[in-house]
Amino acid sequence: MNDSTETLQQTPEITRKEMDNPDKTDFRQDYISFRNYNFYYGATQVLFEVNLDIPERQVTALIGPSGCGKSTLLRNINRMNDLVDGIRHEGELLIDGTSAYDPTVEVISLRKRIGMVFQKSNPFAKSIYENVVYGLRVAGRKKKSTLDEAVETSLRRAALWDEVKDRLGESAFGLSGGQMQRLCIARAIANNPEIILMDEPCSALDPVATGKIEDLIHDLKKEYTIVIVTHNMQQAARVSDRTAFFYLGKLIEYDETEKMFMNPAQKQTEDYVRGRFG
Amino acid sequence: MSHTSPEKNEAKPLPSRFQVGKSTLYFDNFMNYAIKIGGIGVIAAICGIFIFLTYQIMPLFRGATVEFEQSLDLGDLKISAMGIDPWSQLPLFVSPDGTLNFYDIVDRDKDYNRGLFQMDPGLPEGMEYPFTRYSNHEDSAIFGTADGRFAVVQVEFESTHPDYRGREVIPKITTTPLFRIGLENGEFEEIDYVDAGRSKLAVAIQRDEEGQRRIFAVTFSQNQPLIGDPVTVRDREFELSDLFEGEAQFLRLTGDSDFVIVGTDIGELHLLARERGGFTNRQTIQPFAGRESDTIRSMNFLSGRLSLILTNEAGEMMMYSIFHSEEDDHRILGRTKEFQPALPTGQGAAYFSHTPRNKAFLVGGPNYAQIRYATTEAIRWDGDLNFTVEHALLGRRYDRLLFVDTENHLQIFTVTDPHPETGWKAYFGKIHYEGRTEPEFMWQSDGDDDFEPKLSMVPLIWGTLKGTVFAMLIAVPIALLAAFYTSQFLKPEIRRLIKPVMEIMESVPTVVLGFLAALWLAPLISARIPSVFLIILSLPMAVIAFGAILANLPIQFRKFIKPGYEFLYFAPFMMLTAYFAWQMGPLFEALFFRVENPETGEVVGSFAVWWTETTDYPVRLRNAFVVGIFMGFAIIPTIFTIAEDSMTNVPQSFRSGALALGASRWQTAISVILPTAAAGIFSAIMIGFGRAVGETMILLMATGNTPIMTANPFDGMRTLAANIAVELPEAAQGGTLYRSLFLGALLLFAFTFFINTVAEVMRQKLRDRYKAVE
Ligand SMILES: Nc1ncnc2c1ncn2[C@@H]1O[C@H](COP(=O)(O)OP(=O)(O)OP(=O)(O)O)[C@@H](O)[C@H]1O
Ligand SMILES: [Mg+2]
Repeated sequence: MNDSTETLQQTPEITRKEMDNPDKTDFRQDYISFRNYNFYYGATQVLFEVNLDIPERQVTALIGPSGCGKSTLLRNINRMNDLVDGIRHEGELLIDGTSAYDPTVEVISLRKRIGMVFQKSNPFAKSIYENVVYGLRVAGRKKKSTLDEAVETSLRRAALWDEVKDRLGESAFGLSGGQMQRLCIARAIANNPEIILMDEPCSALDPVATGKIEDLIHDLKKEYTIVIVTHNMQQAARVSDRTAFFYLGKLIEYDETEKMFMNPAQKQTEDYVRGRFG
Repeated sequence: MSHTSPEKNEAKPLPSRFQVGKSTLYFDNFMNYAIKIGGIGVIAAICGIFIFLTYQIMPLFRGATVEFEQSLDLGDLKISAMGIDPWSQLPLFVSPDGTLNFYDIVDRDKDYNRGLFQMDPGLPEGMEYPFTRYSNHEDSAIFGTADGRFAVVQVEFESTHPDYRGREVIPKITTTPLFRIGLENGEFEEIDYVDAGRSKLAVAIQRDEEGQRRIFAVTFSQNQPLIGDPVTVRDREFELSDLFEGEAQFLRLTGDSDFVIVGTDIGELHLLARERGGFTNRQTIQPFAGRESDTIRSMNFLSGRLSLILTNEAGEMMMYSIFHSEEDDHRILGRTKEFQPALPTGQGAAYFSHTPRNKAFLVGGPNYAQIRYATTEAIRWDGDLNFTVEHALLGRRYDRLLFVDTENHLQIFTVTDPHPETGWKAYFGKIHYEGRTEPEFMWQSDGDDDFEPKLSMVPLIWGTLKGTVFAMLIAVPIALLAAFYTSQFLKPEIRRLIKPVMEIMESVPTVVLGFLAALWLAPLISARIPSVFLIILSLPMAVIAFGAILANLPIQFRKFIKPGYEFLYFAPFMMLTAYFAWQMGPLFEALFFRVENPETGEVVGSFAVWWTETTDYPVRLRNAFVVGIFMGFAIIPTIFTIAEDSMTNVPQSFRSGALALGASRWQTAISVILPTAAAGIFSAIMIGFGRAVGETMILLMATGNTPIMTANPFDGMRTLAANIAVELPEAAQGGTLYRSLFLGALLLFAFTFFINTVAEVMRQKLRDRYKAVE
């Protein structure tokens, strides 16, 4: 695992950030920033006046009961909601200081900066290899050695390399559910994004696979800003640095994870994290 | 010996809340059976159609059946030639004493009580006629005397039904005077006579005193006296013996009296042409050169006097026909058929008889006979005979075989062969038809008796494929791109509008499309073909140009074009392009399709003339190109709907996955949607193909329905489906044409069945490959 990290760090995209900010502690606290953010699906408002600053190179967990708008918030960050009809938003969403909805922002390059792992794994009907390099291919990378290297690095990082290295050419549909989910993570990291969004990445996985992915998140945090949605309180407690609790589209409380779980300021948060939520 | 306690077997009554209602169960069961019966019904219907069609075409691939009918004793009647009336009931026997003898074989002694009776043609009495010949097709006998004269006896048969007792055939006879020909004391070996209206010709082979065979021709002219019938007057005589080497052995005249065909004892065939004031040898052929035997054994015309059946001593048989040669630009004699296998050894052609009804002929040796069909070269029937044949005859209606054996018995057989002109070769083989220059695939069913029906399915299959290919060329790109755009790029609100529009388009009756194609588009397009080309060329370029402009537009401007609404700018742009292309057509034509007017020397632009000059193909009003456009229009909705569905049905997660990785909409569509939807797209194309194959009305109205086989896009064609529609009114039930149409229908059925099966199999395969794991 360690040597693969080194390989990844040799790639210029990663080192660039470090040269800009040689002091590792000097990361932006409002790397992703929602300001008075309202969001509507047609006439239904789903997010209400959300003010949320997600810090750089940390893991932020979004928790809350089903239907409270966690996925919606997440999908706003990389503008995946653009695909949905009749959406509307108010307020500001800044990513590294620039508005994500600025008309001059190329949505494609935005999405290249922001990788996403979906709740349900969704590999393409292609080989494992092609799945991993898909993002690079659409970005126009053709050099075989670059692609090969990216495949190995990202699969190693996603803790999948040893399981699939002998069948990279086979269809991704031959993998198990957990393997597919890790493949989707590998696919997201192969793009070298700055942010990784994860929407309940472990909901369909067994404890062993979940453990592997949690390790992975821990590891990825060194280079990426990670936002993860989860229903699993233990998982949120284990992997995240900060936790945001949503209820009915409102941000109820947002703080250090430890504080959120040990000593929440709001009653609703306490009820929820204790599992006393009706 | 199982050992179960009774209590265990007794099931506890199920609590009523778990019980299923009786009606629910009945309905479920009923639906189960109904669906099963429905499914089986569909399969049964398809099998039924298949079996019915097969049953209808079976007779086309059967041979003739020949059965013994009766045997009649002719007593001591002397017979030198034989013929029969058009109803095949009154055979006539030519006697060397100058009489004609008739025998009513149907009504021997029942109603008219005639049996064998004799008629005297009124030739000079007390003379012997050592040469006699009867031409069954022309109903005429030729009598040659021992002193170099001949007469032609024309028989006319009249059919009456006195007292409604069945047909009575009454022969009437007219006889020419005895005309001189050749040597006064020569022995006739062969005489042929042709009356082609004003021009009449007789040619005879005679042996002179030294035993040398010589050949003479006499021309006759017709004089019209002031009162009374025209009189035939002997004109001039020519000797033809020196026009070729060897001695003349066989002799036939063509029906127009323009040619004399002579077969010699050295196995050569000469075509002597009658020209101003004499004869010239046009052509010399060695028909059996290099064969087992090069000696000609027999030489006979089929009806129509255009095709010769030649046999040699080894029983090999071939056909030579007179046809127009493209190279020399005049008529020549050429080999058109070879009949395989040869006649059995020892049964070489001892007799020959043909029927004017079709191209069948009877040929054989002393104890063997066969019926051949000249067009298809097929043996319709053959068999050994338990008597020895002296004379043989094929009934005029192709319904009887008559033989006179060595014991002077008339042996009569019935022939049953409703479809002699059919068979594999007739439908799928290349055939050299009479009067054509080379073997061809042809469909031309409206043949009367003098005319071979041409039944090849190949031009129709060709036409079907041609129409389909042109339609697909137009429909597939448009339908697939439209489906692609609609499903991947268009705003869903607008997408919801497209579907009903497509359905309306699909429901337009094809007869309306055909009508428009034939009456509106065909004249419009054939006048502006260069414009259409320009449109076809410029539209894709315009698309690319538009894309390039869009891509390079600074983002400030591009934000006005909302994703999903590009068409608002795009559609007018395309229409303008098409309009300009249409208007530029004549200019384009004037610049690139320049031809010189041969009369005035003026150079003008004309695509039609240019095309004809460059490719040798005509440009017709109703052509495959127009049909392609309209048939394309007819099948676009089919392809579009299925393809669009399959693209829309690609799981959203695939799209999200690709988009989240930074793929553009276009990249997503190409690299993720297309492969996943490939199965559906493929079956959309195949189903469109199947529809195009079966489409009838548009083709019927807009192709001109000429069954020709060219790839020329500006010429018409005839398809299997249109053929059925066109010919159906002409087809008598149970007739050859009727069954041939069924064969066309079976081909069509098999074709669409095959396409759909392939489509389904491929779809399943592709679906398995790209099936998403859910
Ligand atoms: N495409 C959509 N169109 C309309 N309403 C939507 C759409 N997607 C989500 N919603 C609604 O928005 C609300 C928030 O949905 P969202 O998916 O963000 O919830 P969530 O917090 O992720 O829930 P879960 O934990 O069950 O995934 C829900 O009430 C949902 O019904
Ligand atoms: Mg969710």
